[in-house]
Amino acid sequence: MWLPVLGLIIGVFFGLMADIRIPAEYSNYLSIAVLAALDTLFGGIRAQLQNIYDEKVFVSGFFFNIILAASLAFLGVHLGVDLYLAAVFAFGVRLFQNIAVIRRILLTKWSVPREKTEKN
Amino acid sequence: MDKKWISFTFIAIIVGFMLALQFNTLQEPTVRDTRDTWQLREDLEKEKEMQVNLLREIRSQEEILSQYESEREQSKELALRETLEELKKEAGLSDIEGFGILLTIEPVYEELLMGNKVTTVSPELLKRLLNELNMYDALYVSIGGQRVINTTVIRDINGETKINGFSLNDFPIEIKVIAENRQVAEKLYNRMQVSKSAEEFFIDNLRVKISKPESMITIPAYEDSIRIRDMEPVEADKGGNS
Repeated sequence: MWLPVLGLIIGVFFGLMADIRIPAEYSNYLSIAVLAALDTLFGGIRAQLQNIYDEKVFVSGFFFNIILAASLAFLGVHLGVDLYLAAVFAFGVRLFQNIAVIRRILLTKWSVPREKTEKN
Repeated sequence: MDKKWISFTFIAIIVGFMLALQFNTLQEPTVRDTRDTWQLREDLEKEKEMQVNLLREIRSQEEILSQYESEREQSKELALRETLEELKKEAGLSDIEGFGILLTIEPVYEELLMGNKVTTVSPELLKRLLNELNMYDALYVSIGGQRVINTTVIRDINGETKINGFSLNDFPIEIKVIAENRQVAEKLYNRMQVSKSAEEFFIDNLRVKISKPESMITIPAYEDSIRIRDMEPVEADKGGNS
């Protein structure tokens, strides 16, 4: 259960230690990729809590989303339209929805045992 | 179950890595110098412009400084000029206007009828008149258009009375006197009315007419240059020489 959190911390640690810098003109792509990755991560957590988790969907969705977001941003830059905003919007909305669902699931998980204890 | 968590962890590591990278990227530009040649050129240009501006400012300040210096010099000159004017006025080298009276020496009309012709006025009488005028606070005097200064001589040359080398034989002779102000001029007028020397002119068949004090009497400047042969400036004492 705590393995993903540990993984996140390890990732951040390596990222800071690696001392790699993305050129300023590519930082847009990275930010959108981070957003997509976060979205996929929270989606995975939600699916896990709802017991509909599929590893293939999760891993493929992760990479696919990142690539899609980056390519959208790339296309936007070349068309002169801020298309990455579409990705930001979509991923942002989904992020909120996922987090809301996770919150409700966790709330019910916590409140149900408490009701049980009260009844007893 | 384990496999699931492993993939989840893997994804989490990637996400963390990306987050850290993004964090690094956003933090760094403030520290790192990523300017290329053209940007460096632009910056250099800016600095040079600033330098030029500073130089210009320095120049303008220096100009102001030199202006002040020259102004000071000029003011020194001005003071000297003023002193010179004052000294000239005192010495009688400039025209003077002011309150004063006008004395007119003319032959006695009755004597002319008798056939006596008056040709000249004696220098002694003139000197006496001058002394009396000076006694009564006359500041500037001219006789027959000739300014009376400290070195003026009135004397008889070959039977002709001359002042500063000019003959006084054109009657009437005008004597212009300027006093310090209106009050002094009035006093001078009153005194001259009862003056003895004026009466003494009558013995020489001359009459002195005294006009009322006038506001604007102009006395001409001394025409020649004043020659000083036997005077030299006092040398300033140096320290210790008393």
